[in-house]
Amino acid sequence: MDLLSNLALGFSVALQGINLLYAFFGVLLGTLIGVLPGIGPVATIAMLLPVTFTLPPVSALIMLAGIYYGAQYGGSTTAILVNLPGESSSVVTTLDGYQMARRGRAGAALGIAAIGSFIAGTFATFLIALAAPPLAEVALKFGPAEYFSLMVLGLIAATVLAHGSLLKAIAMVVLGLLLGLVGTDVNSGVARFNFAIPELSDGIGFVTVAMGMFGIAEIVANLDSEEKREVFTAKISRLLPTARDFKDSAGAITRGTLLGSALGILPGGGALLAAFAAYTLEKKVARDASQFGKGDIRGVAGPESANNAGAQTSFIPLLTLGIPSNAVKALMIGAMMIQGIAPGPQVMTEKPDLFWGMIASMWVGNLMLVILNLPLIGLWIKLLTVPYRLLYPAILLFCCIGVYSINNSAFDIFMMAGFAVLGYVCMKLSCEPAPLILGFILGPMMEENLRRALLLSRGDPMTFLQKPISATLLAISALLLLVVVAPVVRKKREEAFQE
Amino acid sequence: MKRLALWIALFAALFGAGAAHAQGGAATAYPGKPIRFVVPFPPGGPLDIMARAIGQKLTESWSQPVVVDNRPGAGGSLGAELVAKAPGDGYTLLMGAVSTHAINPHLYARIGYDPFKDFVPVALVAEVPNVLVVNPTVPATSVQELVALAKAKPGYLNFGSGSTGSTGHLAGELFKSLAGVDMVHIPYKGGAPAMQDLLGGQVQLMFDNLANSLPQVKAGKLRALAVTTSSRSPAMPDLPTVNEAGVKGFDLSTWFGVFVPAGTPPEIVTKLNAGIVAALDSKELRERLAAMGTMPPGNNTPAAFAAFMRAENAKYAKVVKESGAKVD
Repeated sequence: MDLLSNLALGFSVALQGINLLYAFFGVLLGTLIGVLPGIGPVATIAMLLPVTFTLPPVSALIMLAGIYYGAQYGGSTTAILVNLPGESSSVVTTLDGYQMARRGRAGAALGIAAIGSFIAGTFATFLIALAAPPLAEVALKFGPAEYFSLMVLGLIAATVLAHGSLLKAIAMVVLGLLLGLVGTDVNSGVARFNFAIPELSDGIGFVTVAMGMFGIAEIVANLDSEEKREVFTAKISRLLPTARDFKDSAGAITRGTLLGSALGILPGGGALLAAFAAYTLEKKVARDASQFGKGDIRGVAGPESANNAGAQTSFIPLLTLGIPSNAVKALMIGAMMIQGIAPGPQVMTEKPDLFWGMIASMWVGNLMLVILNLPLIGLWIKLLTVPYRLLYPAILLFCCIGVYSINNSAFDIFMMAGFAVLGYVCMKLSCEPAPLILGFILGPMMEENLRRALLLSRGDPMTFLQKPISATLLAISALLLLVVVAPVVRKKREEAFQE
Repeated sequence: MKRLALWIALFAALFGAGAAHAQGGAATAYPGKPIRFVVPFPPGGPLDIMARAIGQKLTESWSQPVVVDNRPGAGGSLGAELVAKAPGDGYTLLMGAVSTHAINPHLYARIGYDPFKDFVPVALVAEVPNVLVVNPTVPATSVQELVALAKAKPGYLNFGSGSTGSTGHLAGELFKSLAGVDMVHIPYKGGAPAMQDLLGGQVQLMFDNLANSLPQVKAGKLRALAVTTSSRSPAMPDLPTVNEAGVKGFDLSTWFGVFVPAGTPPEIVTKLNAGIVAALDSKELRERLAAMGTMPPGNNTPAAFAAFMRAENAKYAKVVKESGAKVD
């Protein structure tokens, strides 16, 4: 039983006092920075990099991994409480999580997010332990053509995110695609739509858009009408989810976990898609989808489970191939190099204590997150009772610090302010920002992969149909499109889109 | 009128004295306050790691904090421009690279600084070979076989790179022109996705930086054919150079080094050079540089670094022009 002995080795490493301490420090710090809007794990880990130099390699990486998934979790907390998604994956959580909070059910939303995340994290961790190397091979089968088809599927699914007008949702997706075009073209190196502003030559940052359109626009809207906040805090009845909540969420958690685990393996934005995909799935399988977007607990449980499962399985390419799937992983590679470890396929065989220790520590870290966060829910709820006139300047301040910290650039703060105005206008026009964000994230990736696939096929578009995975994904997209459009054809618009 | 002249003279005297004082102080009392070390790339890369390690050493020996300031954007141009406009007092350093100081000026029509006029080179930190790696499914075990394969099947081979205008891209273009073969450049957003597609066999080869590819080669996931420098790498002494393997005149590497803004007093440049060279010579940094596969350092003076930079600029002016990669 290799697996058992490997896991035993892993846990013997992860449960050492010093590693437990660093895991705890990591998840605690991660939760805190996740809760502070905009201050992400990238800035934190960059600041902590010199510190890791003095730590044993395993402890250093355990701590950094803890910061990462702690921040993922903390980001959901702000998404639910104040409509501020700190990470791209928590954009979806704002849809129903924030609505639940407005109905006084913030505790239930936070609770189900914690529990769903834990279940998903546990499953994903064991999946990594069982099958990381073969799964990494599967991920390598995803070339540009496959990624493009996956993005097509994602974009079509995006229209389902909206619970208002389909036309407006499509308009917002397109606007997001356009914003995503800003920046240097990967193929030619030409800067597009940067108006000779050097700061725009790398495109617009996700956090800048999300903070502006969600967080700050929401603050402006709240200041518009005073009575809104009263409703917010007055009705909080209980902190934890009810038995009925659990019953409602069980299926969502299961589906979210499976979907997130699968998509998280893909380094090119899979983890990102997981939450969006889970939300779409929940809305489509629900017998009564009328409450989605108005505070349906399944709309929190599914995506939250998916994003945590995805966050865990996204370690697979890093651990088995030495390929970082996002900025945080790139920093972890840096930390490994500082320690004299060459990140690559050999880590698994040459440093089994590091490999299995990290895997075991992920589970330990997830357990710590639940233990840490369930009691914290009460504290977060109390935060909502802080008078808004004190709360919103603090949120504004943290947003500015957070956005600044990403590139150490004041320009980004002004850009965030611009997006806040756009967000407020959209809110007044009842255009939802979530489809825009999805278009904004997926658009550039889709274009990049489309052009790369065509470069590789020497311009032959049939490549998308000749590759089996790509063809399957396109077929599912066509099917989904049919599901969305069919009700229109049957002239049942009311039923389909006024959900 | 007379009074005005008097005032001017008085001011001139005051400022002159002040400047003289500052210069006299600079030689003896530098550094008298914290130093900002600008890294024009995001944290975590080899440049950033080396900047932090050097900063730590300088902090220890000069008892003044050296703070790394990441200013990523526009392929390193944003950070370089920032330092170009900073005062030349020795309190702002730049970790420049082959991209910021040899490639970008030829690649981009508009750039906010001049690598020669706006900077004084201080010390070369590392010169790392790129390595020609192929996916193991490619039926070529040497550079000669690869050239033969490319000639037998024109347009069959794809080479990936971290971005348009990177050393990986330009090495590929140089290879195409020197070996007379046809390959298609597939640019990526960074080295990681490019490596992923190389491992997955979507692209067949890459001129990757050595440190990055070494673990994959050791694990048998990639096959190394040659290094791109004019001499072999101490990290892989058995691997021939591209030049040795028959593509004559091929010499290309990735390097980075420390620059200060133009106008920095020579005494400060000398002191910085001595401090950085001493840091690079410490046991820890030597080990770390060796792990990156760096070339053995030669005579590391500001003058030698300046000469190296001029040679590199001349080389890339030619390579960029021939590759047609120029961006307007």
